[in-house]
Amino acid sequence: MAIRFRQVSYAYPGYGLGNYDAIKDITLDIAAKGEFIALVGQTGSGKSTLAQHMNALIFPTEGTVEIFGKTVGPKRDRNIKYNELRRQVGLVFQFPEYQLFEETVEKDIMFGPMNFGVPEEEARTMAWNALGLVGLGPTYLKRNPLNLSGGEKKRVSIAGILAMDPQILVLDEPTSGLDPRGKATMMDLFRSIREKTGKTIVVITHDMDLVYEYMDRVLVLDKGTLAFDGTPDELFHMPRLDRLHLDYPATIRVLSAVAKDLGIAIDVYQKDVASAVSAIQKAVRP
Amino acid sequence: MVMLLSFLEIRNLSFSYNQKRMVLKHVDLAVERGEWIAVLGHNGSGKSTLAKTIVGLLRPAEGTITVDGITLSDETAYDVRRKVGIVFQNPDNQFVGVTVKDDIAFGMENLSVPKEEMLQKIAFYAEKVGMADYLDKEPSALSGGQKQRIAIAGILAMKTDMIIFDEATSMLDPTSRRELMDYIKTLHQEGLTILMITHDIEEALMADRLVVLKDGAVFADDTAEHLFQRPEAFREAYLELPSALRIYYELEAAGDMTPPLATTLWRFGSGK
Ligand SMILES: Nc1ncnc2c1ncn2[C@@H]1O[C@H](COP(=O)(O)OP(=O)(O)OP(=O)(O)O)[C@@H](O)[C@H]1O
Ligand SMILES: Nc1ncnc2c1ncn2[C@@H]1O[C@H](COP(=O)(O)OP(=O)(O)OP(=O)(O)O)[C@@H](O)[C@H]1O
Ligand SMILES: [Mg+2]
Ligand SMILES: [Mg+2]
Repeated sequence: MAIRFRQVSYAYPGYGLGNYDAIKDITLDIAAKGEFIALVGQTGSGKSTLAQHMNALIFPTEGTVEIFGKTVGPKRDRNIKYNELRRQVGLVFQFPEYQLFEETVEKDIMFGPMNFGVPEEEARTMAWNALGLVGLGPTYLKRNPLNLSGGEKKRVSIAGILAMDPQILVLDEPTSGLDPRGKATMMDLFRSIREKTGKTIVVITHDMDLVYEYMDRVLVLDKGTLAFDGTPDELFHMPRLDRLHLDYPATIRVLSAVAKDLGIAIDVYQKDVASAVSAIQKAVRP
Repeated sequence: MVMLLSFLEIRNLSFSYNQKRMVLKHVDLAVERGEWIAVLGHNGSGKSTLAKTIVGLLRPAEGTITVDGITLSDETAYDVRRKVGIVFQNPDNQFVGVTVKDDIAFGMENLSVPKEEMLQKIAFYAEKVGMADYLDKEPSALSGGQKQRIAIAGILAMKTDMIIFDEATSMLDPTSRRELMDYIKTLHQEGLTILMITHDIEEALMADRLVVLKDGAVFADDTAEHLFQRPEAFREAYLELPSALRIYYELEAAGDMTPPLATTLWRFGSGK
């Protein structure tokens, strides 16, 4: 296992009256290879807080997080090179503004690799490649990253992590603010990285369609605790997902409406539009 | 002849950040009082820029904007902002205060709302967006979706005639989003004029009309029912139809459409 959470709780310092546990007693394992994990749950349920433990950006208040063999506990340990952990596990922030700071897009994307010792020219090549992968052309290289549209900033912040080529990618709402085509491009990109390199990818999202179509494991947080850890199919077979502040993917909702209106039996558990179409054809063709 | 103006009238609006490239190109748009329009378009198509020009935060290179009969200029920008509130795409851009309470109050302070009334409204709108327990927190100590809710509460509290929502619910969980949209719908029924920028086609379906921007120009301005009948055009603007209608068109192409199927898929897909 690449990342092991053992009874991890986290309280933000000085949070109001007494301490509030943003996450509580979380135990879970994430493999180094081949997982495509969705982290979902209500706003404020602790997703971003959990994600920031995965590369030791914050330390647990209680419990331990083992990252590639290094055990991160509440206290800083001189024997751990935290920078190294942050190279192994790349984290994209929820708000790109927290991540972008260089005066050009090119420098911004080059920063990660160079910070970890990649020579300048090589870092530049990595930056150019990464920018293309997120759907932005070379005209963006010399632009100031803070003078971009919301979705363009998001893409640059993702490119910055791709250029670092970490072993595990953790992305905090990478598709919020992306246009529909950008969303599909980005998810296809993650899928192909996973297929080509076997890297584990963790994505925080509120988009149930993406969870069902792309991911093979879902973690649901509810008020700081881990309320579910299983496959999307298991999750979406559960009744009353509104109690977890979730919803069903559009395919399931549409197919359920069709089955009900037409009074026919359809297998509604279809992950994408193409298979939803086949399911209807199967049900209505003589 | 008397010209009847819409609540918001945008004529031949062009804008550039740097003289080199036009980001908005000859945009014409009219929004009636009490209308709800959704603005869609690819990343960088000019949606946020359009929103900022409407409230006078950016000065157009060309064209005019009229709000409730007031032509926007440096002199009238203040009056326009009393009529049109905007929830920014990044909620941090709206936070100036030390506490959540200060931030909800900020817009009202600019409108010189009396103290008593202000306190009562802060409580009321914090409750409406589900953040009543967070009033004394620092805005920087909120999660992404919590920040968005506070940003929305602050603008709702201003009680302007019109509100521009710039991807204001993009980080809300499905349940919170639905609750908030239901409340916005109630406000709309009570007369609020809405311009809602969104990438979420299901959310856009709550509007009376969809305006599609492409490369800074108005690509389409029509009802969802009409637009959805031209799926190629939709794709050309880098947009995607709702899942139900993607299923509809694929079944149709395969020759598997039946009238009852068509009825259900179309009803579901157009949100009616
Ligand atoms: N810097 C901070 N200081 C104090 N409390 C915080 C801080 N950041 C977050 N919190 C609180 O911790 C809880 C968990 O926040 P977190 O950001 O992890 O939620 P989230 O699941 O990512 O939510 P969202 O979907 O809205 O981004 C929330 O109640 C939030 O108010
Ligand atoms: N401050 C700025 N300086 C220079 N160019 C800018 C600035 N802000 C935005 N732009 C550019 O103007 C164009 C329109 O940006 P705008 O933010 O209006 O897009 P948008 O439609 O809101 O996109 P998104 O869906 O990504 O939020 C983009 O190409 C963007 O790069
Ligand atoms: Mg978050
Ligand atoms: Mg925008």
